[in-house]
Parts: sequence; structure tokens; C-alpha cells
Amino acid sequence: MLNLLLTRLRSSRPDHRQRWDGVGEVPDGSQAHRRRWLPRRLALAALPLLAAAAVAGCGSSADGGGVETTASKPSRGGTIQYGHLQEPPCLINTWVQTGYLSRQFLDGLVSVDGKGKFYPWLATSWKVSKDGKTYTFELKPNVKFTDGTPFDAKAVKANFDAWLDAKRWTYNMYVGYHVANVLDEVKVTGPLEVEIKLKEPHDLLSVLSQYAFGIISPKTLAGSQANGCEKPVGTGGFIVEKWNRGKDVVLKRNPDYNSAPGNAKHQGPAYVDGVVWKFLKDDTLRYGSLRTGESDVIYEVPGASWADAKKRYAILQHVTGGVPVRLALETQNGPFKDVRVRKAFGYASDRRKAVETVFRGAAPYNGNGALSAGSPEHVEALEHAYDHDPAKAAELLDEAGWTQKNQDGIRVKDGKPLTIRIVYSPGNNVTNDDVQVLQIIQDQAKQVGFDVQLKPVTQAGLWAGEHHGPGEWDAEPWYWVARTAEILHVIWAPASEFGGTPNGNNPGGYEDPKTWALIEEADRTVDVKKRTALYQQAQRRIVETDALVLGLRPLTVNLAVGPKLRDVWLSPAIGEPVFTDAYFAK
Amino acid sequence: MSTASPSFDEAPAGTGGPRRGAVAWAHLRSVPVGVLLSSVVLLLFLVAALVPSLLETHDPFATDLAASLQSPSGSHLFGTDQSGRDVFSRVVHGTGQSLLIGLGSTGVALVIGLVLGIAAGLGGRWTDAGVSRFIDVLFAFPTLFLALLLVAIFGPGITTTIVAVGVGTSPGYARMVRGQFLAVRDAGYVEAARAVGHPPSRIVRQHIFPNAIRPLVAIFTLGVGQSIAFASGLAYLGLGVAPPAPEWGALLDAGRQYVTEAWWLELMPGAAIVLFALAVTVVGRHVQERLEGNVKVRIP
Amino acid sequence: MSTTVDTFTVAETAAPRGRRRLAGRVGRRLVGAIGVLFAAATVTFFLQALMPGDRARLIINQSNGSLTNPTEAERAAVAERYHLDDSLLSQYAHYIGGLVRGDLGVSYFQHEKVTSIIGAQIGSTIVLTLVALVLAWIIALTVTVLAAGRDNVWSKLASGFQIVSASIPQYWVGTIFLVVFSIQLGIFPVESGSGIDGLILPAITLALPVAGFLGQVSQDEFSRLLHQPFVTSSRTRGSSDLSVRVRHVLRHAALPGVTLSGWALGFLFSGAVIVETVFARPGIGSVLVTAATARDIPLVTGVVIVSAAVYVVANLLVDLAYTVIDPRLKDQ
Repeated sequence: MLNLLLTRLRSSRPDHRQRWDGVGEVPDGSQAHRRRWLPRRLALAALPLLAAAAVAGCGSSADGGGVETTASKPSRGGTIQYGHLQEPPCLINTWVQTGYLSRQFLDGLVSVDGKGKFYPWLATSWKVSKDGKTYTFELKPNVKFTDGTPFDAKAVKANFDAWLDAKRWTYNMYVGYHVANVLDEVKVTGPLEVEIKLKEPHDLLSVLSQYAFGIISPKTLAGSQANGCEKPVGTGGFIVEKWNRGKDVVLKRNPDYNSAPGNAKHQGPAYVDGVVWKFLKDDTLRYGSLRTGESDVIYEVPGASWADAKKRYAILQHVTGGVPVRLALETQNGPFKDVRVRKAFGYASDRRKAVETVFRGAAPYNGNGALSAGSPEHVEALEHAYDHDPAKAAELLDEAGWTQKNQDGIRVKDGKPLTIRIVYSPGNNVTNDDVQVLQIIQDQAKQVGFDVQLKPVTQAGLWAGEHHGPGEWDAEPWYWVARTAEILHVIWAPASEFGGTPNGNNPGGYEDPKTWALIEEADRTVDVKKRTALYQQAQRRIVETDALVLGLRPLTVNLAVGPKLRDVWLSPAIGEPVFTDAYFAK
Repeated sequence: MSTASPSFDEAPAGTGGPRRGAVAWAHLRSVPVGVLLSSVVLLLFLVAALVPSLLETHDPFATDLAASLQSPSGSHLFGTDQSGRDVFSRVVHGTGQSLLIGLGSTGVALVIGLVLGIAAGLGGRWTDAGVSRFIDVLFAFPTLFLALLLVAIFGPGITTTIVAVGVGTSPGYARMVRGQFLAVRDAGYVEAARAVGHPPSRIVRQHIFPNAIRPLVAIFTLGVGQSIAFASGLAYLGLGVAPPAPEWGALLDAGRQYVTEAWWLELMPGAAIVLFALAVTVVGRHVQERLEGNVKVRIP
Repeated sequence: MSTTVDTFTVAETAAPRGRRRLAGRVGRRLVGAIGVLFAAATVTFFLQALMPGDRARLIINQSNGSLTNPTEAERAAVAERYHLDDSLLSQYAHYIGGLVRGDLGVSYFQHEKVTSIIGAQIGSTIVLTLVALVLAWIIALTVTVLAAGRDNVWSKLASGFQIVSASIPQYWVGTIFLVVFSIQLGIFPVESGSGIDGLILPAITLALPVAGFLGQVSQDEFSRLLHQPFVTSSRTRGSSDLSVRVRHVLRHAALPGVTLSGWALGFLFSGAVIVETVFARPGIGSVLVTAATARDIPLVTGVVIVSAAVYVVANLLVDLAYTVIDPRLKDQ
């Protein structure tokens, strides 16, 4: 909504050549332009006031815009104290938590808003060939990496080469999963022009708007891993000054910043002097530091403090798309080999009420286990696919042959009890609140005759495959952050796509050729409506027909903003916090 | 107490009954109030550990989403948690596991300590030197770190916690046992027994062992409280027993983020730990006092 | 290192004659200390080797932040870089060789030398630990001097306090302190930082159990000493009760406690793991937890060696301090 207002205001001004129909042009960052921009800034600053009234009624708006109450002129200066939770092992990798941080110093090629409209960023314009297989990007001129290297087509190619080379430390598995099978070649066709050729049509723009595609300086890429992890260089609004391990990352303002995305609130360098991105792992402490003012804004408000936070602070919430936190069911071994038992487990517990009670609003329920409500192709009806129905669960279990019960009330078949082992890693793929939900599921499923056992593993244990051998687990929670249903091919691609190695992103192991055919076709479809319909059919097969996943909640980005800070917003791609437009109110 | 053996307050043989009762009452009255209270508390904890259903007011695992996060009241003595489970019943039910961990790990530590300490205290110079070095190596590992390491290898769980905390706290006991045995070995009555010609095995059995072990009773009791605190530390770091087990440490870990909103989640299990440790120590020290005549409490 | 924890220390350690004996003693201690360190490193190494699961896969997944099935080529590349497929003995030799040179290896996940990671973080923990030790001593001795040997309500309370504080879970009391004094009352900052005021709450939390133990030991010793002849003679000379306690008894009562300080340091290091997490203080405690759960072997073993070294050095100093404090040992 805010962007629509911006659009109208901007297009009415004669000295800017701008057509915001997806193939737009952004004023370059030259000095002349900057001087002309200055008076406009005041006008732009008044926008929040206009937008506030409009936005106020919408609650958390689709493009993740900030909640503004009073307008103030953006003032220069101040350092944002930001309290984050997870600390990454390296400042450049594929973890979404790292992605939030790298968004501060890296820019992407294209940006996107909550409606799916793409905006220029480091790419000022693009053309797609009729067959949908060739994308030609015009890159923004006069942009420099903060180490002095110029940003150009060669830099973009260097990035792609680095991401897809398994032998280098820069190897980016996220990029690999999304495009490796579909990418044909990346060609430099001019100093500021790049051509990306695909083997088949694919929603490349959406993929490129995601966090792992931030453009890194070729010097960093060519350098050592130690250096790249500690002090990576990009073109972004902030520069990594120092990483104090276990404590914080100190970011300072990039005074020459001229490559803000098209849907940013302003172009040009950040208003603040810098951001201290702190790692406050303890929930009580993190929220406490906001209460005492030691932090200006914090991430991940604990569920316990959600009500209090809503009363005191402005809350930004983004429901991330992609795969929500859901239970993936093991289909190759154990009781879940039978689809009826899988469905029964879905009906056996009231996951909706559990999530709502425990999270208290910090995260909504997402019953559609295949896709988060944050993605545009989400099928709403699947939210009720397995609403709590113990009678139905009992019926299905009887049908599947689990008719006898032992003295603890657990169903038995052929002498074996109906044991379901849920393997999870607290603090890693689930939060403490998620663990509460699992315990509720455990208790409720017992009424129907399931013996649910919870098996926590440490982070290292999880990634070393502990308790994950065949026959050792029956369900596990997982999520995968992405913008759209394009993520489905990453999760459900069969082993044949990987030369026979089972797809690690589909731990349950079920391969439905009909579903894959739908997904493959959807990926290739250029027409958005047709594509959406195909993805929706795929979701229905995954959830209703095959009952492969049980939804819990989407990954949400919650920011609580203190009273002094304004204009923090969450990028609609995957909810990354953006601070280049933020400023301290006087 | 059999009627056959004479009691020191001489009553004419054959007149037991009320006199014995009066003796018992006199003994009881001489016990300080604090110790009596602690004994009652301990008894309650024991009942909670062995037959929790006697004390529980609700099913500790039954979730009730409508009753989420209620403060302490008549129907829920300690309030309820996020899933609506009764906290009092959970604390009671968790007693068994927590006590098992505390007693178990202190037991493991004591066994290791005894083995090492006796070897060092009673063995020759070289054995003493070797074992002492080994004890020093164990000491060089901060207890929680050693426990962390073992838990990381074998995974979280009740057995691992017991072994981990036990091994981690054992060097202190080993040193103490060694010291005791060294001292007793050279004591007067042992020399006397040796002079009389008793075989070494008999000397060890009758004189050295009982006298050396006796002072350790209070250490053991103090150690139980400390072990429970260590185990709950592991649970706090996310390496404790698997839910929904209401082990006290796990309850403390789960209740942390609710300290301001639902203080009862954090306060009650912590109070249980402290109360138990207090009671067990008071009783332990009293027992030692009676056995020894004075109390010398040493640190694990 | 033959410091023991009970009162038999005095009888059992040999009393050296003069300075040459002292030098010899120190020398022997030093050799013993190195032996202990070596043994500790070996034990740690072999313990870590027992861990189940595929380490190469773990490293790959950690770097990517997701659970994946790496291809054989990817796995082999990582295994080669970290010598994961070498035989256990050759890995061990490699490790010990590095230790001797002062090279503790490179962290699996931080891609930095272990020595520099530890060097950056250890200062904070040492400061915290020392302050906590001092605080523990102050608390313990104050309570002891005022309450030992008396039979009133205060001494019972003092005993109770010492017992309670010895078994209080540190993160429990730490969280309560954090919420009450930092968040609600705002007296201390929530985030520890580098200032003095950020140090107080963590230090007190860390000090409490140690204060409890030290207090109990000192108290028992103090009570015992109050009946010694030299105290009675002081009193008959007209010294006040307090001055007798402070000037004469304290020094002797502190002896077992001094021995304990060596042990206390190990205990405090252990507690620092928890306290640093509660108060979000950087230090080797939090480095250790992350490294242990992530199975970052070079970093874990590095932290162990360094903390063992600190402990050994501390005990060495305590041994020497003991000879200074107890005149019976110094000159015979």
C-alpha cells in the first residue's frame, strides 16, 4: 500500500523517468541527482504520515511495512542497537539467520514486494525471452563494492561461478538447490549486462530475490574463507566493521550507498551511523534489553512476552513463505508406511489449538504442511485438512489393523505397539514453544492410542544424522524459508534428479510421480495463473492424498521496535529486517 | 533394638515396654526442631518419589489447553503451565527422577571416589602417586564441561546425566577418601591393632574402613543437593532428559522465559530443589554429629 | 600437585627445609603439572573420538545451516581438509605435535585458529572468575567471622544460608537477579558489557555456591579454633571478641579455605558456562557450550587444555601461597 502511494507521487514528478510496471528505471546516484533529491526528501518524509492512516487499518500489511504513528523528519545519526537471537558460524552462508544479517551489507539483483511485484535493485531492468529461458539483466552503473571493486557484469558472473563450484568455500547449497539443475549458463554480454540462460523456464526473478543471492565482492570471493566469513564485502547500506564472536557484529554506515532496492523508502545512504547486531540468545534477557532501552529493536519476541510487547511497542511481523515448520512423516519404515496411519495421526491431535495456546499470537497456525500461508500459491482449504477429529482417527486406525490395545491404552498390532518417535533439535529446528506444542500433540494422540516418544538431539547430533537412521524415527519437524511454491521442487525432487542419491530435503522418502510431474510442469510454466493452479494441485496431493506432512506454524519474523526508532521494515522476500531507511525520532 | 541386648540406661531385665518408650521419647525430644522438620520434609519427598500418585492432585501429563498459564489457586496449588498441566503434580512427579539423578550421580561419584581414594590411601607410595596424578587430571576438567562432553558423546538422557555428573564430581570425593584413609591408617588404634597382630584384612575391615567412611556421610548428603543443581544446569543447556518428563531441571529450563509473566513456573521447581537440598543436609549433618560427636563438613 | 582438601593437608605434605627444598618442590610440581596437562589433552582427544555420527557430514551441514545429503565428492573434500579419514593414531600424533608447538589447530566452524578464538574470549571469563572468587571470600569470611562459634539465631541463619547457597542452581538465581535487579528495578544493565556495573550480578551469581562451601569450611575450622589455647590467652589479655576473631583466628581458619581456592577456581570456571549464557557475557564458557554441542573438536580440546592450564597454574600459586600463610610450613 505504501508503495502504491509512493508510485503515484513519484510518477507525477516530471524530472524522473520512471515506469513502475516491472521494467522500471531508478534515478542513478550521481551528484546532480542527489541535489535534486534533497527537497524531495521532505516530501517523501511526509509520506509515512499519509500512509499511516491507510496502513493502520490493515494490521500487519502484506509488504511488511512498519507501523507508524507519528511522522518525524528523518534525522541523521545514532547507532541502532539490535538484539538478534541466533549467531551464524560464518557471515556468508546459506542459513536464513545469516541471511538476515547479510542483507545489511549485500544487495541482490531484484527486490520484490508483498504482492509479488518485482523491483529493480542491482539490476535496473530485465528482459525475458518469449520462451522464458533467457533473462537479460541491465545492471546499475556507478555502483562500487565497499572495498573499491567496481560492480559490473563480471562481478555477477564471478558470484554465480563461486556459488556453484563445489570445490570452493563459497559453494552455496541454497543456490544449488534452487537453480543448479535448471541453469545453463551465465554470460557477460556487456560491461553492465548479464545474460542468464536456463534449460527450462523457471521463476528466476523470484529465486533471485531471496537472501542467498546477495552479490559479494569478487575480491572476497577470491580470498580466504577465514576472511570471507569475518569481513565479507558487498555493495550494501552497511559495512561489516567487526565481528565480536559470541557478542555482536558491528556494522557501520556505507556513506556511498547508492543501490537501495526500488521498493525502499528512500534512495541513498542510511540515516543512522551504524547498527550493532547483537546476539542475545536468552529470551528473557533479549526482551529485557528492549524494556530497559539497551536495545532499540529486537527479534523474536518470546511467546510469553507477546501480549506485553504488543501493548508497549510497534510490532513488525512477517509470515515467511516456503515450507512452514511442520512434521515430516517417515514413509519407508515404521507405522507411517501406511497412509491411513499417517492421516490418523493428523486427526489425532488439535494442532491448531496447541499452536494458538502456546504461541499466543507470536506465530499463527499453519495447517497446510506443504506450503506456508506467506506464499502466494498457498491453498487455504488445506488449513483444515486434518482438523482435530479423534473419532475419525480411531476409525482409520481400526481400518489399518491397529484394533487391539494394551493395558496402557496404546494400540497394538502383531504384538508391536503403535510407537511414534519424533526426533527434533531444540533451539535449532524448533523453538521452546514448538517443544511445548509437541508435548501437547503427544498427550492428545495418546487418547487415540498413539505412543508418542519425543527424542531431542543436539544441533551437532541432528546434522550428524543421530537418531535418523532407517527405522530410528517416525516424524521430524523442519522448515525451509523461501518466497513462493518454487520451493516445492527443492523438497520433493526424486532421487533420480540427483543421480540416485536420495533427496535429503525429503527425509520421509516418499516419491509420488504424479506430484513430481505437477511440480515440474509448474516450474516450467510462465503464465502465473496456470503455474499457481499446478502448484495448488501438487499441495493437495502432498497433504490430502499422500498425507506426507502435518503443518504446525510458519516461520515468522517478529520485530519489536522501541519508541525512538522509525521506519524499520521487513523485506517481503523472506522477512529480512531492513535498517537503511530507519532513523531515530527526535 | 532387641530386648536381649542391654541398653545403657539400666532398667531391670524384663521391664521393657514403657521404659523403652520413654527412652525413645527422650531421644526424640533431644533432636533439634529443625532436624525434625527436615526429616518430615524428606519423608514427603520420599513418598513423592516412590508413590507420587498419593500426593498428586492431577495427572502430571494431562494437557488442558483451556487452563493455560493459570496462577496458583485452590484448584491448582502451583498454577498451570503453557499446556495447562498442573505444576504441583509435575513437581511431585518429577521428584522420583530428580532424586534418582541426585542420588545416582552422587552414588557414582562416591563409588569412583572410594575406588580411587582407597587405592591411593591404602596402596603403596607408587600407587598413591599414580592414582593421585589421575585424580589431578580429573580435577583439571571443570565439572560441567566434563559432563557436557560426555552428554554430547552419548546423547542426553537420564543415564548419561547420572554418569556425567557422577564422573564430574568424583575427584573431590576421591581426594577426601584418600585423605581420610591416610589419616586413619596412621591412627593410634590401628597401630595398636597391628601391634596385637591382627591380619591386615581384618584391620582394614574392622578399624580403617568404618572410621574413614563415617565422616563422609555429611558429604554425601550435601553432594546430593549439588548433583541435582548440576543436573538441572545440564537441562538448562538443553541437554537434560527428554520431555515430557517433569524432572526439576527440565521444568526450570522450560519456565525460564515466563519468569515475569508466570513466575510460578520458575519459582516452584527451584524452591523444591533448594528445599530438598536443605532438608537433606540438615538431617545429614545431624546424623554425622551423632555418629562422630562433632561435625567436620568437607567439600566434594 | 598433592594439595588435599581436608585438614590432614598439614600433616601430609612434607615440610621443606629452606629455599633449596622450595625450589625443588616447585620444580617437581611444574613437571607434574605438565604431565597432568598432557594426560588431560589425551583423555579429551580420545573421548571426542568416541562420538558417533559422520563428522564430515556434520561440518558440511553446519556450514550450510541445513540437513542435507552431501555427495561423496563433497564429503571427501571436507574429510581431506580436516584429516578426518586418517587413522586415529595419526590424528592423535598430529594433534600432540601441534600442542607442543603451541598450535591448537583451526576451528571447524569458525575457520580461525583456536588460539586466537580463545585468546579473544578468555580475558572476560578470567575477570569474571577472579571477581567472583574475591566476592565469595568476602561473603564467606564476613559470615564466618560474625557467626561462627556462636549459638544464636544469626549463626543458624548463617549456616542455613551457606547450605542453601551451596545447592542453588545458578541459572535459577541468576535469572531471578536479572529480572529483579536489571529488568524491573534497572539498577544494573541487562547486557553485561565491559563495565564494572555489568560485572556485579554475574559475579555474585557465580560466587554464591562457592561462598557457601568456603563459608562452611571456614566456619567449622573457625569454631574449632575458638577453643584453642592461643585464643583463650588473647582473651585473658583483654582483646575484644571481634578483634580476637579477626586478628588471630581468621588467619588460621582461612587455611583450608585457601587450599580450596584452587578447587574453587575449577568450580567457578564450570559455573561460568552457565552464568555467561544467562547474562549474555562473552567468554570461553559460551564458546565451550557451542563448540561441544557442535562437536567442534579443535576448539573443544583447545578450551579444555587452556582451562586445565589455568587450573594447574592457579593451584601452583595456591601451593606457594599456602607456604607463605602457614608459618609452620615455611621454616622448620
